[in-house]
Amino acid sequence: MTKKNYIYILGCTFIFTLFSCKHSESEYHSITDKIEAESKNYHGTSISSEQFLDGVETIEITEDEHTFLIPERKSQITSYACTECHTKPLNQMQNKEGAKKAHWDIKLAHADLNTMNCITCHNGDDMDNLKSLTGNTIDYNRSYKLCSQCHSKQFEDWKGGAHGKKVAGWAPPRASMTCVNCHNPHKPSFETRWPARFNTQKVKERE
Amino acid sequence: MSGIGKYFKLNLNSATKQTSGSCGCGSSSGGCGTPKEDTSETSYGCGNTSGGCGSQPQSQTHISDEDFDTAVDAAIGEECKKDGFDQVFDVKMDRRTAFRQLTASLMIGAGAVSSSCSVISDDESKEKAQIDWEEQFKGNYKLMTDQEKKATVDRLVRSYQLRKGKNITMSSKNAEEDVLFGYAFNISKCQGYMDCVSACAEENNQDRNSQMEYIRIHEMKDGKGFKFDEADDNYYHEVPAEGHFYMGTQCFHCDNPPCVEVCPVQATWREEDGLVVVDYDWCVGCRYCMAACPYDGRRFNWSTPEVPENEINKNQHYLGNRMRKKGVVEKCTFCVQRSRAGKNPACVEACPTGARIFGNLLDPDSTIRWVLENKKVFRLKEDLGTEPKFWYFMD
Repeated sequence: MTKKNYIYILGCTFIFTLFSCKHSESEYHSITDKIEAESKNYHGTSISSEQFLDGVETIEITEDEHTFLIPERKSQITSYACTECHTKPLNQMQNKEGAKKAHWDIKLAHADLNTMNCITCHNGDDMDNLKSLTGNTIDYNRSYKLCSQCHSKQFEDWKGGAHGKKVAGWAPPRASMTCVNCHNPHKPSFETRWPARFNTQKVKERE
Repeated sequence: MSGIGKYFKLNLNSATKQTSGSCGCGSSSGGCGTPKEDTSETSYGCGNTSGGCGSQPQSQTHISDEDFDTAVDAAIGEECKKDGFDQVFDVKMDRRTAFRQLTASLMIGAGAVSSSCSVISDDESKEKAQIDWEEQFKGNYKLMTDQEKKATVDRLVRSYQLRKGKNITMSSKNAEEDVLFGYAFNISKCQGYMDCVSACAEENNQDRNSQMEYIRIHEMKDGKGFKFDEADDNYYHEVPAEGHFYMGTQCFHCDNPPCVEVCPVQATWREEDGLVVVDYDWCVGCRYCMAACPYDGRRFNWSTPEVPENEINKNQHYLGNRMRKKGVVEKCTFCVQRSRAGKNPACVEACPTGARIFGNLLDPDSTIRWVLENKKVFRLKEDLGTEPKFWYFMD
């Protein structure tokens, strides 16, 4: 073996290692690296979901560093404003015994009665607004403020976008459903039901 | 060396341009000292290469970079650039193959000519034949220019109109810059209602006969973890069932997709916005991709897909939910016809529990980015290095 051969082999090894270290196809080591690197120069896209929000009345809210749209609520409540019927404070409007009550169909299934009843959220003296636990006024359009008093974890996730749904599309502007768009505030949990479909072919295939 | 050597010998028509200076041929059968111009006959066997032992004219022993490029170009260059019609017909081939190709094209041609030039057939069938002819010899969608994409989409729309008398809209919208689609699935929210599966089948015109479904919802026992062999993905009882949790799988649109790697005809590829798509007109139905996919993300059309006319989603995309044919592979495209327009995929929109989150991974303010950065996310079979863009998380 001459010195030349040694140098030759050394050179080959060097070149080999040089090329084998670099992954041949992608410039990034992982998808998270790629996302991080490519979003540095993010300039926004021309795609917008604004057109899908046509006909949905929204209001803009800002909670911490998150600013986004939520559907307007008052126009969706059948008989808002409540004062159209509730002309007097509630204690002056008590029904006669035996007559059918106005909101007979509402059965509260939200926490237990030690924790909550109607007046935890509603104010008998101001039926057009909701009230916080400390007695402050909360607008019907911002009812999420009421929910977030107890459901703080869900509130955090909702603000960031991990809980809940978008109104229309993924593209900006962000418009997210608010709590009451999916949950019935008087009975917030989801019910059990049958699945939307059953695949009979799959059963045959697997026989 | 022998592999490369073949190229040189075959195409430069002279073995002497091999630059392997040290002539390691064990049994040089001749030519040493006798310059030979045409050695292509003997040059196939690598052991007994005949040329090159210093006896050739000096001018031929070295090959410049330029010559090398022209040589490669002459050998395979054109095939790289050719597409569609040319790729089949404008290549060197032997006599037998040529006859075979000619016969085949004559048959197709005769059929086309008989219907398009016939005096008895009407304009409509002529137009149909013309469209079929052009569709038959169009190139791979991946290589098409924007005009060509538009042309094929227009043909498909017109063809549908001629055949069914109904109008569809078909898009050929390309990937947008600064967009990379990603998906997150909240395991603690999914209740197994399967509304997503239904919405997907309707949106994407999936075959109703075989009840094809892109999405599978797996019902798993609490405390057992992800055990796909013990999970049930075709349950029918009231959900959520006691002691079970639900998780969905579909195409994960891997950033390093093994299915794309194995496709012998490049009928499937990853788009710039991260979607892994299939050109149904280029797919030959070999199903290598199905074998390569570690997530069971792909489906095959064993029969011609059938969808009742009134149920067909007429808002279509070439790479998405347009009608497929028998013998091609299809899969979830994150509803390319919707997502590239700014909408959420049908499954995301249909989910009543908000377990599905979709968005642009490159937008630092998007909700999907918030989920990735603030929740404890993981992916399925992460160790395979397929880099799926589909994350699971829990509340």
